[in-house]
Amino acid sequence: MILLSRSAVLALLAGFALFTAGCGKSSGPADKASDAGAPKMEADLERTLKEQPGFYVFKTPADLPAGLKWEDGSELPEFADPNAKKGGTFSYFISDFPRTLRTIGPDATGGIRPYLLDYVEPSFIAPHPNVTNGGYAGLAASWAVGPDGRTVYFKIDPQARWSDGKPLTTADVVFTLYFMRSPHLNEPWYNDFYTKNYQQLIVFDDHTFATVHPEKKPDLAIRFGGWVPYPRHAYQDFGPGWLERFQWRETPKLGAYELKEKDIEKGRAVTLTRVKGWWAENKRFFRGRFNPDRYRLEVIRDPDKAIESFIRGDLDFAPLGLSKYWYETLPDNHPEVTSGRLIKFKFYNQTPRPDFGLWINRAKPVLDNRDVREGIQHASNITLVCEQFFRGDAVQMQTRSDGYGWRMHPTITARPFDPVKAREYFAKAGFTTQGRDGVLANAGGQRLSFTITAYSPAMRDLLTILKQEAIKAGLEFNIEVLDSTTGWKKIQEKNHDIALAALSRSAELYPRYWEMYHGSNAYTDAYLKDGKPTPIATGSTPNPQPKQIAVQTNNMTMTFIPELDRLIEAYDKAETLEEIKSLAVKIEQIIHDDAGWVNGWQRPFYRGGYWRHVKWPQAFNVAQSRDFEEFFVHWLDVDERKEVEAARKSGRTYPDGGVKVFDQYKAQ
Amino acid sequence: MTGRFSFLRLDPLTRRKLQRFRSIRRGYVSFLILAVAIVLSLAAELLVNSRALVVRYEGKWHFPTYGAIHTGREFGFDYDYEVRYRDLRERFAADPSGRNWILLPPIPYDPLENCYPGDTFRPRPPDWAKRHLLGTDQINRDILARLIYGFRNALVFAGAFLLLTYLIGISVGCLMGYFGGWFDLLVQRLIEIWSNIPFLFVVIIIASIVPAGIGVNLGVLLFIVVLFSWTGMTYYMRSATYREKARDYVHAAQVLGAGTPRIIFRHILPNVLSTIVTFIPFTIASSISALTALDFLGFGLPPPTPSWGELLRQGTSNLQSPWIVASAFSALVIVLVLVTFVGEAIREAFDPKKFTTYQ
Repeated sequence: MILLSRSAVLALLAGFALFTAGCGKSSGPADKASDAGAPKMEADLERTLKEQPGFYVFKTPADLPAGLKWEDGSELPEFADPNAKKGGTFSYFISDFPRTLRTIGPDATGGIRPYLLDYVEPSFIAPHPNVTNGGYAGLAASWAVGPDGRTVYFKIDPQARWSDGKPLTTADVVFTLYFMRSPHLNEPWYNDFYTKNYQQLIVFDDHTFATVHPEKKPDLAIRFGGWVPYPRHAYQDFGPGWLERFQWRETPKLGAYELKEKDIEKGRAVTLTRVKGWWAENKRFFRGRFNPDRYRLEVIRDPDKAIESFIRGDLDFAPLGLSKYWYETLPDNHPEVTSGRLIKFKFYNQTPRPDFGLWINRAKPVLDNRDVREGIQHASNITLVCEQFFRGDAVQMQTRSDGYGWRMHPTITARPFDPVKAREYFAKAGFTTQGRDGVLANAGGQRLSFTITAYSPAMRDLLTILKQEAIKAGLEFNIEVLDSTTGWKKIQEKNHDIALAALSRSAELYPRYWEMYHGSNAYTDAYLKDGKPTPIATGSTPNPQPKQIAVQTNNMTMTFIPELDRLIEAYDKAETLEEIKSLAVKIEQIIHDDAGWVNGWQRPFYRGGYWRHVKWPQAFNVAQSRDFEEFFVHWLDVDERKEVEAARKSGRTYPDGGVKVFDQYKAQ
Repeated sequence: MTGRFSFLRLDPLTRRKLQRFRSIRRGYVSFLILAVAIVLSLAAELLVNSRALVVRYEGKWHFPTYGAIHTGREFGFDYDYEVRYRDLRERFAADPSGRNWILLPPIPYDPLENCYPGDTFRPRPPDWAKRHLLGTDQINRDILARLIYGFRNALVFAGAFLLLTYLIGISVGCLMGYFGGWFDLLVQRLIEIWSNIPFLFVVIIIASIVPAGIGVNLGVLLFIVVLFSWTGMTYYMRSATYREKARDYVHAAQVLGAGTPRIIFRHILPNVLSTIVTFIPFTIASSISALTALDFLGFGLPPPTPSWGELLRQGTSNLQSPWIVASAFSALVIVLVLVTFVGEAIREAFDPKKFTTYQ
């Protein structure tokens, strides 16, 4: 799911309270009045097609290479329950009222986007959530990888329809790539992604097209088939100023749910409605999914209140990730749980974990010393946080990239908390004198004191614990918890000493390293070719004294190791999984030895609670789901809901309730 | 400004006002309670602390309360960080020879430390045996210790706030009243514009941008709050100075050749002081609640600084552990009520129309 990686760029820790109230922008559906003066998108599109004939290529079906092996994923197992009942209104919450209904552009990565795009809209090829590197037919009825290994051919499902009844065709595909690459989009990340990773779009007829990519990849089709087109006919006035015009506009959807204007209660709730006679309703991988008729998302800003609201019966589901909620707010012996009316569950999933950890800024004085970083590794008591703060629910990550289905490195493990060892490393770096407050200092009187920057209030307690432990090694941590935007900006501009941060990662076959570890993402002048900066390590000279810090990148450790960069470049060009795996081992080793990232924690499951009228497939959910509704496999039993409501009044209990643990996908 | 406040010499009028204050029982008792609490909180290290008051170890005396840390190794443990005095007490108690002994403060906990090492982090109810008189918070810190140290922080904040706002407010207000004319008009307009800037938003924006470090942050926080709070005082001072300016003694001073600062601070100010004094308790109350509010919202002092606002926030998000919210809330209410009682009494005692009473 390539589109999801935009959220990787803006990954924010879950659960922070937004202080701002409601939605500040007051544009409304009245925008349509201004359409007369709006730019004509078609004219600009025509001009673009003419200007870039090398990118937009039009051919005939006769030009399709012979002997293509078309796939549709139909050999893969179904993952939803085809007997799921349709109907009912599912009640859940979002933590902030959406600031826009766009799924792209400023403010579009908010809490509503999964319901407008990520969870709901089918992509051309959808990654199978139970089969690694498996894909099933979404918008594409079938697809094939060309003989050159760089081209993916798609046949659009002729039944695919927008929610306004218009069929999906290659005209929409052409528009979408034009849209993604357009300077009017105001989204440099998408511009860059669709320019760098897409070399050509070939259109054969109304329902057949191909995309050409720069490198062969073992997961080419899944990697580049995971995008969702935009409706050309609804974007006729796309162009400069489109962000404002589309701020609250309802656009046609391909997925099972749409959000109608009348269902937006400003500041309070939004309700999705299931598309009547949805085109994919009975298709193999879509039947039994997207079951409730209506999906009401109430705005509840305080997660504590959301849990209370759930226990009161106003919501059908509540996430209980925090230990506090699981053990104290709704303990196993809570009357609603023991009565079996309310069920708590814990589901072990298999998905790449957000890389929580301490990102040490190597560009700062003292922290540029590897011994100091080694010392910090041994002075950070993540184990204590996992065992006593998360109460054993979280475990420390062993490598930078856990959860990809195989170990990135066979032997690397996180360094244990060990004040004695930490002091040895600090002594090697010259920090030998213990001050009056227990903090080590060097001969020059410099104290071993660093600030940890975090961007979520949820991290306060955890940082306090780390601080109290670090002093045992003579290390002082100052805590700086900023609001999410300011904190994230500070880290992205590399003004931190140490950052407590995480990037969310989408379900890909193998991790990315370039964003986080390539020297060109640390310094813009990391490499010189003919005296000029270049972003590529291979064939150029590393700059011994780079000065230009690369801001707004994810290299938050400011790592610049020429040897590592060459490996990363080879990794990004690698064509087979074996090659990728063997390079990953070398990369992980260098990253580990450099000690710039203190392994944080990961939780191998998600958990929550639901009322017993919410029903699930046999396996509860799919292996690669990151939360309960990502694949929309749950449904409501409307009759049972009435029964449960009556049971709450009468005090009737069910013998089969309690706490359910689904550990079939648990790593051994 | 000259360094001496002449009203401290207790002229008969002031003495009578103080007597009247003492005779208002509710205010006076509140004042005494507050005074004791303030003095105790200033000596909090001796009462609530994980460091021992006195240790006698191998024939040597140690007084660790103030001063450098003593490592575990100095007392025969195998670690180089600060010795855990409660462990030491246990070890000494187990030693039958009785050569070594230790005296811990009545509440042997630090406001920052994890009181249940090796156990999970969760709020625990009051436990008299363990001397957690008000229980612990969600990361096992003693609530009473955090309340007491938080009280002290709030007082320091309130004191500094009072001093700064009054210094600026009184100076500007007196100058406005004394000079009058276009200066008065201009500054009044400036103040009107200034006081229309939404204070809370500016505080939130600035507090989230400036970098941490307790010293810096307390200073910065104080600076911002003062920046938006000095204006209130100017109005009172302006009108009081206007009134006093027209009196004969001011004219006399002018004729004698006294300079402007001397007239304002030596002659006029002592005569308008009674107005200021009545405001002090209310200013303190409002600055404590401002700091608490900011901490509650998460824009106050950086963690892990003990603060009431932080405790209150923890309490409201842990309603299943009512002792947290109850402690913080009661402490806040008690202190604010006491301060208000004192304020009322002062106002009554310093009221020039002494037969009027405010109830």
